[in-house]
Amino acid sequence: MTGAFTLSQAERERRLLPELTQLVAHHRAHCAPYARILDALGEVGPGFATVADLPWLPVRMFKTHELKSVPDDAVVKVLTSSGTTGDPSRIYLDRTGAAAQTRALAQTLQTVLGPRRLPMLVVDGRGVVADRRSYSARGAGALGMVNFGRDHVWLLDERDEPDVAALRAFLARHGDAPFLVFGFTFMVWRYLYEVARDHGLDLSNGVLVHSGGWKTLVDQAVDNAEFRRRFAEDTGLTSIHNFYGMVEQIGTVFLEGPSGDGLYCPDFADVIIRDPVSWAEAPVGTPGLIEVVSTLPTSYPGHVLLTEDLGVVNGVDDGHWPGKRFSVLGRLPRAEARGCSDTFAGATR
Amino acid sequence: MKLTARFPAGPPGTVDEVLAGVVAAAAGPARLGVGDPRIVDFLHGFSRRLLAPAVARRHPELGPLGFFLRRTETERQLTRLRAGLELDDALAFPRGLVFHVPPANVDTIFVYSWAVAALAGNANVVRISTRAAGVADIVLDALNESLADADPVVAQTQRMITYGHDDAITARLSAACDVRVVWGGDRSVTDVRRHPLAPAARDLTFPDRASFAVISVAGWLAADTAARRDAAERLANDVYWFDQAACASPRAIFLVGDPVAAGAVRAELVTLVGAAVRDKGWDVDAAMAVEKRVGAYGVAADGDASAVAFAGNAVATLRLTAPAAAPRRWLGAGTLPFATVDRLTDLIPVIQRKDQTLSHFGFDRAELVAFAHALGGRGIDRIVPLGAALSFAAIWDGYDLAREFCRLVTVDA
Repeated sequence: MTGAFTLSQAERERRLLPELTQLVAHHRAHCAPYARILDALGEVGPGFATVADLPWLPVRMFKTHELKSVPDDAVVKVLTSSGTTGDPSRIYLDRTGAAAQTRALAQTLQTVLGPRRLPMLVVDGRGVVADRRSYSARGAGALGMVNFGRDHVWLLDERDEPDVAALRAFLARHGDAPFLVFGFTFMVWRYLYEVARDHGLDLSNGVLVHSGGWKTLVDQAVDNAEFRRRFAEDTGLTSIHNFYGMVEQIGTVFLEGPSGDGLYCPDFADVIIRDPVSWAEAPVGTPGLIEVVSTLPTSYPGHVLLTEDLGVVNGVDDGHWPGKRFSVLGRLPRAEARGCSDTFAGATR
Repeated sequence: MKLTARFPAGPPGTVDEVLAGVVAAAAGPARLGVGDPRIVDFLHGFSRRLLAPAVARRHPELGPLGFFLRRTETERQLTRLRAGLELDDALAFPRGLVFHVPPANVDTIFVYSWAVAALAGNANVVRISTRAAGVADIVLDALNESLADADPVVAQTQRMITYGHDDAITARLSAACDVRVVWGGDRSVTDVRRHPLAPAARDLTFPDRASFAVISVAGWLAADTAARRDAAERLANDVYWFDQAACASPRAIFLVGDPVAAGAVRAELVTLVGAAVRDKGWDVDAAMAVEKRVGAYGVAADGDASAVAFAGNAVATLRLTAPAAAPRRWLGAGTLPFATVDRLTDLIPVIQRKDQTLSHFGFDRAELVAFAHALGGRGIDRIVPLGAALSFAAIWDGYDLAREFCRLVTVDA
């Protein structure tokens, strides 16, 4: 079952390049600030020789500027990211864009979940999505995923303690057939892994989809390999898919292959690792900044974005699925102004 | 809540202990006077540590501070102060206790305002940010090392402390001081001002400022290669020390003169700045490189730059659509937005109250004085040669600091 992950690198680039080139022209025509950036950079276009030649925007531009390629009255949804510092990103979706991202996300996840909704265990508290007006990043992630499951059980109770009885009941009802588990990486480790291990619970029919980064786990010497190994040994859970994605490219998720050999790009997307000195594409095995490329963003110029995440391509067309497989290595530290300003700003944290 | 004693380095204490200590010493028999030799000696010893070759090589930005604190320089400031007092037939005494709230992250500005206040004989309490690091630590180490040779009154009257975001401590120090010195953004100033001062006390505030450079096209063309190279190197110092984030670092460069010739001047200047940065071995890391892209792309997105170019990560060049499009916000280290005007006076409508320093190259004094008169104090408090933007002066932001830290007494007999 390969679903959304079918294209070899050459075929992917052959298909993406004209579509993305078309998107550059589209956003240039409909988003004046984007056009001004490209004009100032001397990007002549309209043709580009490779996907890596396409002009990229720093992802943080969506925090500092209103960038959209549709008229105000066509906007049906504004997504905001609650970053840890400063202003949130604002992502504008029109009807077409909103539908496309939902469809693409479904297509991507069905590759590992199958066509039908599975019983779903959410490794979080129901409270994380209680306030419908403002979600945390965790809340937004959980809310996006709950559509892919049914008969939801939330692992954490009101006091944010694992509800072992509810987990046992869920497994008794659904544990004999495939079920979906979703959560943030550190929550999954802290609450699901430890509880399942300590109570000898069998998760072998689960399909775990998780995201959120390894920062807090690295402190406990748990990396992806260790995470997978311990889950398999202690709970029987082997179907594990980490994913990488961001609100600025909503609908596009880079999903870990079944054998854990890296994150893969769905057919409508790609990644380019850039050397932060030459800004050229880094060779396989050389870390750099992650640029994410997707044909989904039509209502805002988010089709080619330079993230502030560090990553590395581990191989091309040599893994479980075709295309590039890559790892996220961490986050670039934010440059700090050493200015005269803001004596107290930041002192509150 | 405990305070961390950074200078003199010591065990944590409370705000009441700190206040009791400095107030007693300031009133005691060994109390300081204006221009006290014990402070002059201490500052001189401290400056020698900052100017030691090992420190100067690693932290060239400490050089101007070192020079500012040398005996010859402090004596010169005191001579100027005394000359003014003589003219007024006034006696000068310390104001008492000065509470300094410097910005979180310019590593040396706190030393300047403290040093001038100490030179005027005041007891001082300086709040060092919890975020202060790097050069600030070097400075504090040098201060503590200098104590060994100093008169005990220095340690008794001068304190630098760190505490977290604690309104109670800020309030206590505000209520106790005679002068409060607040550096920082407009928001920080407003924030600190929530805490009342004693009725006779007052604030000296140094809020957000922006600065620019002006280069005469004719002056550049008349300069020889060595002078041009020197100018570029000076500009590089103004721009790259403190990552271009200091208030006095130029945020844009105005070329003044023939617009056709200006293009070639800009190109040569950018090349020479790039070479100077390479020679000094300065670099811009990946995080700063991204910051600069965000900054420069943002100016373009706003319609304020018609061209943006990157010479490696170190130098970003922007061609502004108009002089009035000059950015005042920080765009990352090594960002040079350019605009061209026919003559200096064309900048008058561009200059705002918050503009502080104008660094210049290729103008004569008469032109600059005429420009200052034309501005009429509506903006720009200091006009200095390229390379001197970050050299602190005893007259700063329109204040004569030494006098601000003195209380004047007149005797009419």
